[in-house]
Amino acid sequence: MTTIRVLIADDQMMVRQGFTVLLNAEPGIEVIGQAVDGLDAVAKVAELAPDVVLMDIRMPELGGIEATRRITEPTGATVKVLVLTTFDIDEYVYEALRAGASGFLLKDASAAELAHAVRVVAAGDALLAPNLTKRLIAEFSRVTSTPRAPLKDRVGDLTERETEVLSLIAQGLSNAEIAQSLVVAEQTVKSHVGRILVKLGLRDRTQAAVYAYETGLVRPTGY
Amino acid sequence: MEDKGDVREGLMGTLRGDLWTMAADPLPRMNGPRWLARLPHVLVVVCAIFMVQSSSYGSGQDPTIPVLAMLQATALVVAMFLPIPAWWASTVIMVIGALIVEHSSATWDIPRGGMSFPWSIHLMALQAGVLFLLALRVRPRVVAETLGITVLTGLACVYFVNPSIGPGEIVLAIPVLVTVLAVGVLMGIGAVLRGERVARTRLFRQQQLTAAERARRTVLEERNRIARELHDVVAHHMSMISIQAQVAPHLVKDPPVELTENLAGIRQNAVEALTELRRVLGVLRSQDALAHAPQPTLDRLAELAGSVRAAGLTLAIETTGEPRPLSPGVELSAFRIIQEALSNAMRHAPGAAVHVKIGYRTDALAIQITNTAPDRPPPPAGPGHGLLGMRERTAMLGGELAAGPTRDGGYEVTATLPAMKPPAEDPP
Repeated sequence: MTTIRVLIADDQMMVRQGFTVLLNAEPGIEVIGQAVDGLDAVAKVAELAPDVVLMDIRMPELGGIEATRRITEPTGATVKVLVLTTFDIDEYVYEALRAGASGFLLKDASAAELAHAVRVVAAGDALLAPNLTKRLIAEFSRVTSTPRAPLKDRVGDLTERETEVLSLIAQGLSNAEIAQSLVVAEQTVKSHVGRILVKLGLRDRTQAAVYAYETGLVRPTGY
Repeated sequence: MEDKGDVREGLMGTLRGDLWTMAADPLPRMNGPRWLARLPHVLVVVCAIFMVQSSSYGSGQDPTIPVLAMLQATALVVAMFLPIPAWWASTVIMVIGALIVEHSSATWDIPRGGMSFPWSIHLMALQAGVLFLLALRVRPRVVAETLGITVLTGLACVYFVNPSIGPGEIVLAIPVLVTVLAVGVLMGIGAVLRGERVARTRLFRQQQLTAAERARRTVLEERNRIARELHDVVAHHMSMISIQAQVAPHLVKDPPVELTENLAGIRQNAVEALTELRRVLGVLRSQDALAHAPQPTLDRLAELAGSVRAAGLTLAIETTGEPRPLSPGVELSAFRIIQEALSNAMRHAPGAAVHVKIGYRTDALAIQITNTAPDRPPPPAGPGHGLLGMRERTAMLGGELAAGPTRDGGYEVTATLPAMKPPAEDPP
């Protein structure tokens, strides 16, 4: 198993050092650098090519949301962004997800939760904290009104099975769970997910979930 | 017969209420500079003096006329402060004039001989002045009543002085018609001026209310915002504490168990504080959302009834009287009281049937919520703030609330909320 290389971007030294200590104590995870603000984070990503970036939302110079957008926008960028927040459900976190973040994490998370989040996001097989993420997306996809019309047209490109898989992703199911639900091999699901992401021009399943809600493929139900 | 008696009694009651009073609108404020504020008083006094002065000239005139003019002039000045008593005085002076004046200066020729008014033109002008000042300050209905009484009394006086002329002819005599018409028009003008002023005042008050409401909401929003920011800041520091407490054991080699446990305790407390903060913040946010939502009124009673019935309560709603929109405070409180009473019934009287009565009375809204005895023992109830809240709401509006068990083992809440019908400007 290869080591997951992590970059920590936060304007508070306490957070950077703290998370560095906690993550370095975990097997298979290595903190390779720290960034003190958004601009620094963009530069460090280009320089160090980490697998995962822990990104604070509120930072001087360049905020975490815009930094996330710049980092994840280039086609072929494989780096995953994990947003750090003081409060779980708020519009900033949702904006960060829309901007390209793969998940979010509370700053007071335990060391175990922190390590788990980094591993899940790096693997990309499942949504991080599926219930919470689903709730967040469901709640804010109704509020945010920036239209995504061009994307909407592309839903037509998906096959029936792919559309089915997309809606299951949006409901927070992992690849393994989807495989079980559709009675197919996990590898098949993986290739479905890959094709969905390519066809829709999305970078990961979090983006796919946001996309599914915003296009109305999945309707927010009682939560 | 009894009906007629009732009607007469009602009419007398109305007249007594309207005319046996000192009450009148306050003097309207002058918009001009301060030193002009007493200008109307000065004008009225000057006018009164002038009338008294000029009433004493004229040959062959009854010497009592200047005296009556002086009294009538006094009534005119008093009308500035107490229009209705002044009008009574003025009417009495008119009758006295008719009894004692012998040679009036106001005499006309009419088809069948001469007709004399028992008063001079000055007396009538002064009295007209009193009526005009009255019309500026009282409701149109009172204007109509006083005008009617004055005209009828005046006609009786004229008939008393000119017994040779029949009552029918007096009513149709040109001088009488002209006088009545003039007084009527004068009072009409007064009433219209008052009406405009009242409308303007009401508009102004409305604007003030709106401004006050806006200010209050701004204060609330500001307070909410501050609370949120404070919570944000505190939460941030709490997060830092939790991170540091978690990192600290990693900073030393083989940390002693006591230290690790202690730090775990610190972290635990920080995390709990954060959970609490998030909860409060959630409340603040949802309150924010609530502040913008319209407050419920009795219109939404059907909706409430629906949800209560869906929860398994047998509910009947009965409305008596003619429903009318009430002030928002009364509407909201009535809705909340019913809501609270229903939720109490659900909690304390499972399986009971609930009867809600809403009575629109002329001066109040009466609400009664009665439930029958529960068909099974209620779950142990904790102390509730329901009744207290209901009482506070009712007291705030100056109403009454009574609550207690009924004889058949049920419970009853009765509330009476004062809700005056908007004062009708015109008699129906």
